[in-house]
Amino acid sequence: MSDVGFHLAFWSLSAITIGAALMVVVSRNLIHAVVFLILSFIGVAGLYLTLSAEFIAVVQILIYVGAIAVLMLFAIMLTPRAGRDNSETGMRLPALVLMGLIIAAGTFIGLETDWGSMRGEAIDNQARIIGESLINEFVLPFEVAAVLLTAALVGAIALAREDPEDGSLHYASLLEEGLISPDEPSDAAPLSGTPGGGD
Amino acid sequence: MIPLAKWYDLRDLSGLSEEITGWIGADWLASLVSGLLGALGVLAVVGPTLLILIWVERKVIARFQQRYGPNRVGPKGLVQPVADALKLVLKEELRPRAADKYLFLLPPVLIFLPALLIWGVVPFGPNMQVADLNVGVLYLLAVSSTGVIAIFIAGWSSNNKYALFGAMRVVAMSISYEVPMVLALLTVVFFTGTMSLNGIVEWQQSEDLFLVLMLPMTAFMFFFSATAELNRTPLDISEAESEIVAGYHTEYSGMRFGLFYAVELLNTLAISAFIATFFLGGWWLWGLDEWVPPWIILLAKTGGVYFIFIWTRGTLPRLRIDQMMHFCWKFLVPVGLVFLVAAAVERTLLLENNWDASIALPVFGIINAGLTVVAVVTWAKLSGTESQKLPSNAIMARGRVGGLRAAQAIRVDELGAEPVAGGGD
Repeated sequence: MSDVGFHLAFWSLSAITIGAALMVVVSRNLIHAVVFLILSFIGVAGLYLTLSAEFIAVVQILIYVGAIAVLMLFAIMLTPRAGRDNSETGMRLPALVLMGLIIAAGTFIGLETDWGSMRGEAIDNQARIIGESLINEFVLPFEVAAVLLTAALVGAIALAREDPEDGSLHYASLLEEGLISPDEPSDAAPLSGTPGGGD
Repeated sequence: MIPLAKWYDLRDLSGLSEEITGWIGADWLASLVSGLLGALGVLAVVGPTLLILIWVERKVIARFQQRYGPNRVGPKGLVQPVADALKLVLKEELRPRAADKYLFLLPPVLIFLPALLIWGVVPFGPNMQVADLNVGVLYLLAVSSTGVIAIFIAGWSSNNKYALFGAMRVVAMSISYEVPMVLALLTVVFFTGTMSLNGIVEWQQSEDLFLVLMLPMTAFMFFFSATAELNRTPLDISEAESEIVAGYHTEYSGMRFGLFYAVELLNTLAISAFIATFFLGGWWLWGLDEWVPPWIILLAKTGGVYFIFIWTRGTLPRLRIDQMMHFCWKFLVPVGLVFLVAAAVERTLLLENNWDASIALPVFGIINAGLTVVAVVTWAKLSGTESQKLPSNAIMARGRVGGLRAAQAIRVDELGAEPVAGGGD
């Protein structure tokens, strides 16, 4: 890839990424903000591609666009009021301070790093190399992350699960215990707890 | 493997592309042109195929349902899809006043992107692939997972409760069925030791077998999960017309709806091509690919898989969402994990012991087939018949909620007899 194509790709992708990231903050509608966030993620994936890191680029799309953004959209939809309004919060000052710190740190690292010593050529078969180093060199962090995710999974289930013996009123169980009779009008039936529907 | 072709060799169209890019001096322009040529080639195959597929699908389903199907426009109704497309283009495109102004226009375009991008890694022949990525399998998953967002935006921006229901169902379904899909692909990757799609085809070629013979359950898992991801009929609760009008594209009319419809067919065709590639040997067919253009072999296999898709659509009833989720999380995911471990063990045994692959692989195939039978029988014993006998929460089957049972209960009431208590069987 010669210079023209690379520069074209780099500058347009950077413009997309930064512009979209800006719109995430500026946009008043929360769903619009998430859509711009997705665009920003895709721009970052494109930047990875210009660095010949195709594995990370694809994983970026798979995880951030395919999973995290979808979960964000889902969370917004399931929260009654949040779907409409990306309103003012009291977090403006801390966010500004944090942003300044991050920019300062990024600038510092960028100036201090000896970029000339970075290797220029692309690595073939990155997936294999990343997998091997995850299993050999970084096996402890990898396992810790796995345990953390499992704990999060179990915790989410424990929080969200309806315990049938814990006071949740199923029409069928009420019927069985004789608390209501089948003659009662059907609109008294709480239609909650349809299995598998709510997730 | 075919030696690098002359440009006029129809068996390998990459020669033609190289001839054209050879005239161009600048390096970046050449790669741009070759990419454009690949995209044009894919479009040239996919576009007309789409028109024919609409006709094929309607005709075949009509035959399944003992009717004639389209038979008025053109010979045997062949021009019907063209007429339909023209009608859709000419129709007025409505936008509900309450819809989100900008986001409403986005999804029909947005959903088309992954549907076209996904063709980039389909290996039409040994050298005929727009991009032979090392991470082709991941690329497939990544690109296909972005389509959900378009559907979601469509459902939300319509400001219609049925559209929103459809969108939520799609997202719940896609997130769930992505797990068995990934597990199935991971099993394939474990077995072949590569994530490049061409590499998977070449593995099948070198071992002289189709992967579906080695991993029948995995092939079924991928097929079924793909059906869910594609919203096709056994699992199309996201646009179940008897429940929620048309799901996420309720408010779309004219060509905007047409794009949704086209993308559904396009994705089905792409997934058929991927199933053909992963499990049926792709462009390879026991040496026939030396004589017939490999891309014709792949298209023939794709057509075969597509027929199975139409078949399931024409013959199977729609599942309820809880049945779908139940099947996904309680059958496909555990069984997929079992097969993942089995594939890993078999692959390691093969590599560590230097066994003769021509003997070991058939043995492994028989073991996997046995595992498949065991898995299906166990699940049917443990879960299938149980849930049929004792519905855990059968609201609709009890009391006066609706249906025949409620009518019976009312009639018993009027006759003065005892109502049937807890009538659910």
